[in-house]
Amino acid sequence: MIKTSQLIKRVSTAESELEILRGIDLEIKRGETAAIVGASGSGKSTLLGLLAGLDAPSSGEITLDGINIVNLDEDERAILRSEKVGFVFQNFQLLPALTALENVMLPLELAGIDDAREKSEEFLARVGLGERFHHYPRTLSGGEQQRVAIARAFASRPLILFADEPTGNLDTTTGATVVDLLFGLNQEEGTTLVLVTHDNGLADRCQRKFTMTAGHLEEAS
Amino acid sequence: MKSPLVASIRLLIRDWRGGELGVLFSALLLAVSVVVAISGFVNRLQFNLERESASFLAADLVVSSSNPIPSPWIDQASAVGLAQGETITFSSMVISAEDEMFLASVKAVGGAYPLRGALSVDKGLAQASTAIPEPGTVFLAPRLVQQLSARIGHEVYVGDATLIVAGTLLSEPDSTTGFFGYGPRLVMNAANLDETGVVQPGSRVTYRLLVAGESDDLTRFREWVEPQLVQGQRLSSVDESQPGIGATLERARGFLLLAGSLGVMLAAAAILVAARRFGERHTDQVAVMKSLGATRGTIRQLYALSLTWLGLLSIVLGSGIGWLAQSAMFNALADQLPSEITRIGFAPYITGAVTALVCIGFFAWPPLARLGGVSPLRVIRREETIADATRSVDLVLGTASLGLLMLWYSSDWKLTGALIGSIAITVGLGFLVAQTLLKGSRQVGSSAGSVWRLALAGMQRRGTSSAFQVVIFGIAIMLLLVLTAVRTSLLDQWRLQIPEGTPNHFILNVAPADESSLLTFFAERDIEVGELYPAARGRVMAVNGQPLPDWDRFEDGARQREANFTSTDMAPEGNKIVSGSWWEPGTEKSLVSLEDGFAEDIGVKVGDTLTLRIAADEFSVEVASIREVNWESMQPNFFVIFPDRLLERFPNTLFTSFYLEPNEKHRVGELLDFMPTLTIIELDVAIQEIKTIIDQVSQAIELVLLVILVAGALVLIAGVSSSVDERLHESAILRALGAGRGTLLGAVAIEFAAMGSLAGILAILGSEAAGWVLQTQMLDLQYQIQWVLWPMGVALGALIIGSLGTYACRRVVSVPPLQVLREL
Ligand SMILES: Nc1ncnc2c1ncn2[C@@H]1O[C@H](COP(=O)(O)OP(=O)(O)O)[C@@H](O)[C@H]1O
Ligand SMILES: [Mg+2]
Repeated sequence: MIKTSQLIKRVSTAESELEILRGIDLEIKRGETAAIVGASGSGKSTLLGLLAGLDAPSSGEITLDGINIVNLDEDERAILRSEKVGFVFQNFQLLPALTALENVMLPLELAGIDDAREKSEEFLARVGLGERFHHYPRTLSGGEQQRVAIARAFASRPLILFADEPTGNLDTTTGATVVDLLFGLNQEEGTTLVLVTHDNGLADRCQRKFTMTAGHLEEAS
Repeated sequence: MKSPLVASIRLLIRDWRGGELGVLFSALLLAVSVVVAISGFVNRLQFNLERESASFLAADLVVSSSNPIPSPWIDQASAVGLAQGETITFSSMVISAEDEMFLASVKAVGGAYPLRGALSVDKGLAQASTAIPEPGTVFLAPRLVQQLSARIGHEVYVGDATLIVAGTLLSEPDSTTGFFGYGPRLVMNAANLDETGVVQPGSRVTYRLLVAGESDDLTRFREWVEPQLVQGQRLSSVDESQPGIGATLERARGFLLLAGSLGVMLAAAAILVAARRFGERHTDQVAVMKSLGATRGTIRQLYALSLTWLGLLSIVLGSGIGWLAQSAMFNALADQLPSEITRIGFAPYITGAVTALVCIGFFAWPPLARLGGVSPLRVIRREETIADATRSVDLVLGTASLGLLMLWYSSDWKLTGALIGSIAITVGLGFLVAQTLLKGSRQVGSSAGSVWRLALAGMQRRGTSSAFQVVIFGIAIMLLLVLTAVRTSLLDQWRLQIPEGTPNHFILNVAPADESSLLTFFAERDIEVGELYPAARGRVMAVNGQPLPDWDRFEDGARQREANFTSTDMAPEGNKIVSGSWWEPGTEKSLVSLEDGFAEDIGVKVGDTLTLRIAADEFSVEVASIREVNWESMQPNFFVIFPDRLLERFPNTLFTSFYLEPNEKHRVGELLDFMPTLTIIELDVAIQEIKTIIDQVSQAIELVLLVILVAGALVLIAGVSSSVDERLHESAILRALGAGRGTLLGAVAIEFAAMGSLAGILAILGSEAAGWVLQTQMLDLQYQIQWVLWPMGVALGALIIGSLGTYACRRVVSVPPLQVLREL
C-alpha cells in the first residue's frame, strides 16, 4: 500500500543546507496500522507530509496504492489525496467559519460526492457528536474538535489515514477516547493507518512500530 | 468539486457567517455606491445647471443672423428633433395713444419661445404670467410703461401696427444678449411683425433661431449648420455667450469629476486592504482544503466564483444605495434648484458596475488568486509560506487599471495623470521612508522605555504590512487633502468673481457737461457711483494701411470692426498685458491697447498701425499692447483703449456704473426722469442669476466633499482594522505574560500615531504635487503651497490614525486573553 525507497528530504535554510530525512525505506501493507515515534525535531512530520503527498521529496520514491506520487504534480497529488487519503492533525485544523457538520462535509464536497450530508451526519454520529452538528469549532472542547476531525477524515472513506500526534493536544483521558475511536473506525473501515506519536501506549496498539532518529527510520521488532 | 457554482455560494454564506466577508463586501459596496451616487448627482446637477444657464439664451443653442433664418435650417432643426422658437429684435419708436414717443428695443417672439427659462409678466393678476403675448398684444418693460403712460388695455403703435398692452414685463430670460441693446424692452408676437412694416431690407434687425433638445441632437444640428454660416450669421451656446457662467460650470464639472475619481481611488484602496486581509485570513482554510484534496484550480475557481457573486451583489445593492444617496444629496439642494424632474439615466450604474469589475479584477482578485498557491504543508508546518503580500506586478497592473478607469471616467488625462502621479509618489516614498524608518527604529527602540520599545518592535515585526498601512493611510489622507484644497481655492475664486456690491447698472451717453449734476444726483441718494470714463463708438478701418473688408453688423472674421473705445492712462485692473507694454501716463503719442481676441480677429500684433474712425474722423494709432481680459468678472471691459490725451480730441460721451440694492430699483426711473437722454443697462438680473448658480455649485461641492470624506474615513477604518487580528493575538500573549493594559494600549496608540504622522507627511507631499497640477493645469486656479497644512497634516494624521487605531484595538485589552487565544 505504502512503499518508499531511499527517501531523502533536504531544505536550505539561511545558513546551511539541512538534511531532514536521510534515506527512508519503508513498506506498509493494506489495512496495517503503523506508528512512528521519535524525538521532537527528528523528522516525523516531514515524513508524514511526504507520504501524504503534501510535499515533494528531494530524491527517492514514494508509491501509494501502486501509484508513484513523486512524478505527480501538485494538483494530481491533491486529487489523489481527495480520493485515497485522510488526515488527522495535532491541532485539529477545523475551519472556524464552518459548523461541525460542514467541516465533515468539506472533503466530500471537494471529492464531488453526492450524499455528502447524509454521510457526514452518519460519521459525526459514529464519533458521538450526533447532537452537535451545527456547533462551531470554538464552542467545542479539544476532544470534541478532534472527534470532528476524525469524522472528517473517515467520511470520505480513505484507503490510508495519516495522523500527526492526534492526542498531542489532549489530556490522557480525552486522548484515550479519541484513540479508541480512531482504532475502532479503522477496524470497521479497513483503513491503513499511519500515525505519529509520542505516546508509547498508543504506539503499542499498532501492529508495527517505527522509530525516527535524526532522519533515520528503524522498525522496532 | 461537483457543482462549483453551488459550492461557491455555500463558501460565501459560510464566510459571511464567519464575519470575514464584511470588510471586503463593504469596500465593494462603497466603491459602487460612491461612484453611482457621485456620477448620478453630477449628471443631474449638470443637467439642471445647464438648463438654468441656458435660460440666459432662452435656448440651448441660438443661430443669429442679420437676414431671415433660411427655412431649410428650421426644417433641419425639426428633422433632428429639436424644439424651436424665434426672436426678431430691432429698435423702433413706440408711440402711445397720447402721442408719447419713446425709442424701444423691440423683440418679436414666436414658436415655442422661450425654450429655456420663462418670461415673467404682470397682468394685474395675483400670479405673474409666463406666456408670450397673444397676437395683437404687447408687454412693456416698466420703464416704457412709465414713459408712455400706457396701462394694460391701452393701445400703442409700433410702425404701422396697432397693438394692445397686455402686461408689464418683469423679466425675460434672454435679457442680456447684446450688451448695447438700446432702450427699454417691448415684447410682441412675431405674427404681427409684417403689419408693423418696420422690418425692411437693409434695416438693422437681428433674427434668431432658438433651438433646444438632447445634447446629441444639438451636436448634430450644430455640425450641420456650422459649415453653412456666412458673414453676419453666427451660432452661440451658453458657454460662448456667457463666459462667466461657462467657466463657472466648467470648473464645477472639473471639481465633481475630480471628486468622483477620488471616490473610485479611495474605494480601490479600501478593496485592496480588505482583500489582503481576506486573503490572509483564508490562508489556513485553503491549506486545510488542499490537504483534504482541493487542487489549485478548485481553490481558484471557488474564490473566483465567490468574488463574482460578491461583485454582482455589491453592484445591485451599491446601485440602490448610490441612487438613494444621490437623491438625498439632490434633495438637500432642492430648494435651490429648479424643480424639474430629472432621471439619472443608466450611465452612473454602468460606471458603478465597471468600477466594481475593475476593482474586483485588479484589487480584490490578486491576493485571492494567490491563495491557490498556498502550500498544504502549512497544516503541519505553520510557518510555511503564507499568501504573500502585494507584489509589484499587481501594484503596477492595479495602478494602470485605475488610471484607465479614471481616464474613462473623467476623459481627462491631466487629472488622471496628476492623481496617478501623486499616488505613485506617495506609494514610492511611502515604502522607502516607512521601511527605512521602521528599520532605524529598532536602535531607538531598544534604548527607550518599555511602552515605546513595545510599539517600535511591533511596527518593525509587521514591517511590510506596517509600510503598506502607512501608504494606504497616506493615500487616503492625500486624496482628502487634495480635494479640500481644491475646493477651498474654487470657492474663494468664485466668491471673488462677483464680490458684494459689484456694479449692476451701467450708464451710457452721459454728456460731459452733465457730469457734475449726475454725481450730485447720486450723492443726494447716497448711491455709490463708479468713475466716469470717456467712451466713443468707433470702427477699425485698416491695418498697416490695408483697408479691411466692409463692416457688417455682425462682428466676425477679419473685417472692419465696430467697438466701444475708451481711454485711460492706468492699465485696467484685472487685465493682463500679454505683449507690448502699457504707456506712460500723460503720453501724447498715438497709441492703442487691444483685447487679445479682438487683436486676433483683425490680425494685428504689437507695432502694427491701425486706421480708426470715430464719427467722421479718421486717424492712425500704433498698437502698444495686447491685453488678456477677464470676461468672467462682471466689470466693464473694453476691446480698445487709448491714452487719455488721444480721445480728448474726439467727440465723446462718458459712461459709468453703479450698484443698486434690489429694493432701490425705482432709482432707475428717477434717474431717467432726471436725464432722459441717458441709456441705462440693467445687469442686476443677470448678476443675480450668476450668483445663484455659483451658490448652487458651491453647495453641491460641499456635499460631494462630505461624501468623499466619509469614503476616506472608511478607508482609514479598513486600514486600521486590517491589523487588528494579529495585534489581538500578540497582545493576548503579552497580557498572559503580565503586560499591563496601560502598557499595551499605550504601545498601540504610539504605533498608530507614528504611522499616522508618517502617512501625514506622505499625504502632504503627494497632495502638494497633485494640487499643483490640478489647480494650475486643470481648474485654472492660482496655486500656493499650503504651508499651514504641513504641521496640521502630521498632527492630524497622528491624532486621527492614533485614535482610530487605539479604538479599533480596544478589544486587545478588554477581552480576556484566554478567549482571544482560544479563538485563534
Ligand atoms: N521547510 C523547512 N525549513 C527549515 N527547516 C525545516 C523545514 N521543514 C522541517 N524543518 C526542520 O526539520 C526538523 C524536522 O521537523 P519535523 O518533521 O517537523 O519534526 P517532528 O515532527 O519529528 O518533530 C525540524 O528541526 C524542523 O525545524
Ligand atoms: Mg511534528
